[in-house]
Parts: sequence; C-alpha cells; structure tokens
Amino acid sequence: MMAYWKHASIALLLGCVCLSLLENLAGQNRDVDVAVVVHPDTPVSNLGLTEVRKVFLGDRQYWSTNIPVVLLIRAPVARERNVVLKIIYQMSESQFKQYWIAKIFRAESASAPKVVYSNDMANDLVTAIPGAIAFIDARDVRAGAKVLRVDGRLPGEAGYPLR
Amino acid sequence: MSSRLLSLLVFSLATSGLLAQSTPQTQEPEPSVQSLLERIQRLEKRIGELEDHQRGQAAVSAGSSGSAAVDNTKAPQTNAVLEQPASHENAPSTTAVREAERHYPSLQIRGFGDVDFSATDKKGSVSGFNLGQFVLHFASPLSEKVSYFGELSFTAQPAAYEVQVERSIIRYDYNDYFKISFGKYHTPISYWNTAFHHGAWLQTTVSRPEMVRFGGTFIPIHFVGLQAEGNIPSGGLGLGYNVGLGNGRSSILSKAGDSGDANDNRAWVASVFARPARLYGLQFGGAVYRDKLTPQPGRNFEELITSAHLVWTKEHPEFLSEFANVHHRDVLTSNTYNSQAFYIQLAYRLPWQENKWKPYYRFEYIHKPESDPVFLDVSDLVGSTVGVRYDITNYAAFKGEYRNSRIGKDEPRVNGGFFQTAFTF
Repeated sequence: MMAYWKHASIALLLGCVCLSLLENLAGQNRDVDVAVVVHPDTPVSNLGLTEVRKVFLGDRQYWSTNIPVVLLIRAPVARERNVVLKIIYQMSESQFKQYWIAKIFRAESASAPKVVYSNDMANDLVTAIPGAIAFIDARDVRAGAKVLRVDGRLPGEAGYPLR
Repeated sequence: MSSRLLSLLVFSLATSGLLAQSTPQTQEPEPSVQSLLERIQRLEKRIGELEDHQRGQAAVSAGSSGSAAVDNTKAPQTNAVLEQPASHENAPSTTAVREAERHYPSLQIRGFGDVDFSATDKKGSVSGFNLGQFVLHFASPLSEKVSYFGELSFTAQPAAYEVQVERSIIRYDYNDYFKISFGKYHTPISYWNTAFHHGAWLQTTVSRPEMVRFGGTFIPIHFVGLQAEGNIPSGGLGLGYNVGLGNGRSSILSKAGDSGDANDNRAWVASVFARPARLYGLQFGGAVYRDKLTPQPGRNFEELITSAHLVWTKEHPEFLSEFANVHHRDVLTSNTYNSQAFYIQLAYRLPWQENKWKPYYRFEYIHKPESDPVFLDVSDLVGSTVGVRYDITNYAAFKGEYRNSRIGKDEPRVNGGFFQTAFTF
C-alpha cells in the first residue's frame, strides 16, 4: 500500500513539474510581441495605436492616393489574431465577423481583410502585395521586412503595446 | 504521512478540476484544423495545376521559343512576383500571392432574411407569422478605385412578392478624403438608416424605430443622385462627411425619385460625424436635408430636416440615440409646421453563455402638428420596447420583444409580442 502511494506521489510531482514547465512555455509564448509589418514601399514607418486601429477597422483605406491598404489577418485561433482582436478591434470573434459583414453591407468597404494561414504566408504576401499590412509574431518576421513602430516603439522595446 | 497524502490528494483533485475546465478550450482549434486541411487540399490541387502547366510550357517552349512571351502578356499582374529569383529563400509563394491578388470584377453576394411572428391586442389586428424581407447584397470591386454595391429586397405582399432596388451605387475612391458615387442610397440623414439598411440580423431589435420605418414618411429613406464622402483631416477627432445632391422625395413621399424628380428642384443633404480615436466606439454627428416637395400637382412645400445622433457601438453597453426635426413650409400660404421624433435604445451583451444574450430597451417618440398637410400618414407615437436577442450562431439570432405604444392622440395603448429569427448567409 505504501509503495503504491509513493509511486502515485512521484507521478503527481512529475506531473506538476511538467505542468509548470508547459505553463512557463505558454507564458513565454504569450509575452512575445506581435510586429506590424507592411509592404516595403508603404510610405509610413510609425503609427500610433489608434491609427493602427483606424487602418484595421477599414476607416483608413489608403496609404497614399495610389496605394490602397490591403489588410491581412491570421485565421481564427492563431495567437496573432487573438492579439489583434483583443487590442486593436476590442471585439470577440463573432463581433469581428459581424463588423466586417456590416462594413461591406454599408458600402464602406468592398472587401474584408484577407485571411492568411501562417506567418510564412503573411511574410510572403506582405512582401508581394503593395499596400499590404499584417501582424506577424516578432520571432517570425523575415530579415529585411519593414516593421512599423507603434506609438514610437518596435517589438521587443519596453512599452510596445501589441503582445 | 497521512496528512501529506491527504494534501497530495487534494492537490490532484484540484489539478484534475483545472484540466477538466480546460477541456473545452482544446476543442476550439477544430475549425482551424478543418480550414488548414481545406487549404492544404487547395494548395495540393494548385501545385498539381502548376506542375501540369509547367510541363505543358516546357513542351511548348521546346517547339517554339516565342510562346513564353505570349503567356507573360496573359498575366501581367503576376509578372513582378514570377520574375523574382526562385532560388531566393524569401521568395514569396506565387500560389499564395496569386490567390490573394484582387481580381476584377470580384462579386461577393450576401443574403439577409428573417421570419417573424406578431400578436397584439389592437382591435382588428390579426396575429400570425410573416416572412420578413429577403435581401440580397452585392459588392464588387471593379478596379482598385472603383466599386459597385447593390441591394435588392423581396417583400411578401398578399398577391405576390414586391422586388425593390434598395441601393445601387457605383463609387470612385480618389483617396480617404474624397470618394464620389452615383446611384440610389439610404439617405444619410439618419444613423440607423445608414448603419443597418435592410439587414434585420444586423440590428439588435426586431424592428426599426418608427421614425426610420421602411415605407414610413417621417424622413426620406432613399435618395437618388450623387454623393461625396470621406474623412476630414482632424487628427484624433476622426471627422467624416457626406454631401449629396439628388432628386429628393417623389410625389409618394415614402418613395425616392428613381424614375425622375417630382419637380424641377434638387434635394441636397450634408452630414458630418466624429469617431474620436480615444473613445473607440463613440460616434456623434448631425445632418441637414433640404428639398421641395410636390405631393399633389400645384401644391409645393419646402422641407428642411435637421438631425443629430449620438451612439456608442460597443455592446457593453450599446447605446443608440437620434433626434430629427422636420420643418415644412407651404409655399402658397407660408404656413410652417415642425414635427419632431427621437429614440433612445440601450442594450447590453451579457458576459455569460458565450455572450449570446443581449437584452435591450428602446423608447421612441414622434410628435407632429395635426394641421401639417404633408404628414397625413404620420401619427403621434409614444412607445417602449423591451426585449432580448439570443445569437444562435455567428450568423443567426432569435429576438423576442414586448411593445407598449400609443399611436395617435387619445388612442388606447397597444400591447404586443413580437418574435423574429434573423440571419445572414
């Protein structure tokens, strides 16, 4: 009987250690900044958070007269999407969907944001499509990509708002 | 020893409880896996097509060196991407880029529908079901700067369905500050009129406020003409504008002048609104509308409508309010008449059960002078609506509401129950 409890308690302790490790890992993942990446020719390098919101709400649709904004957003359950919904849109998933249906229905926008299924795909498209803007995990941003400062800060800097 | 075991047991129970609580979260990624699988299938199909195409090209180029140039002219938009060195490790995936590129025209169709049930204690009223409006919405970018939007409604009538072109707009975007369009609009004299259009699913309540009711005459619901709109450079204030010039109301006041103006006088409308950046969700603004009405040949009235709105569009809480004053002046006698209407609507998306429940309350009021010869169909109204919306899915909702209203002076109050299932597809 005693041996059984000993094994059980060891297994439980191991389980606890694993759980805490996993939680730490998840915590680290949660803390990673999300970079705002734009096409290299986009004529901006710094936006306030409210301006980023305006862009992603579709209230600002042009970078300049000849460069329309092309919104790229990760598919549901991606962490980048959750960060965007929570901090930028301040909406739930269903509110976000309803928002864009209403936006198009009001004739305020001709199309909803394009959905990207991975950070690789986001990197690809943001490099290839003029005017594109995407949120990408800062660790996955490719070298040479144009990363915007948000409120004057780059990912990794103290006070960066998107994480 | 036993106390240690006891504490371990308690801990294990707590851990298992936590794990059990987290189970629903692990089920959430299912749609993502499904969408990824679909995407993989699409990509595989696309790779197959590309490989076939490449093989075909290789065979053709072996026979004729000139055909590659012909192929290039067929897809000028993708050349920039295709020309990038394939060996570059960061070269964009051409398949993904091609899929994401805009193609013109690119028609998207969305539908809205609702099924209703109503029962009131009004004398002579009949309770029962009715099919609400069946609405089709079309949006199609025609180029980077030109887009088309259309809205068709099918409304059940005793003999047949009435088909109406509710909106038909072609718009040219110069930039964010200037967009010009032509066609038939919902008049930007009212917030509700331009926020929810004919999509019952989009609005919280079963019905629109009486002052903006479809088929009503208090404000002109539709406007045929041209409209300029855009943002006004104003920093954090987030100002925007609409200016329109059009036919105004037809001789049937609830209709717009689709087939031509009722008189040789254009109506105009101008509105300004603000969406302050620091108060995300807030919008307020005002509008002015001017027209000359000819309800009967030889009888002309000047109409001036002024309106204001204040809304908080977030759902914790949602607050909508509007006020409009309609001023009529008889051109012949110079008699003037002023009618007022407003509504205040409050709703709150409850945080329980995945935010599916949203109770609401609305108070509305209309007053018009009895002597106003233009508003023969408008009645005084004082009414309250209380109800709840339950979102069955992201695209469908049930709504149930109780209304208590007095329509007309010295008339008895009417109580009614209204139910609706509204959806988009």
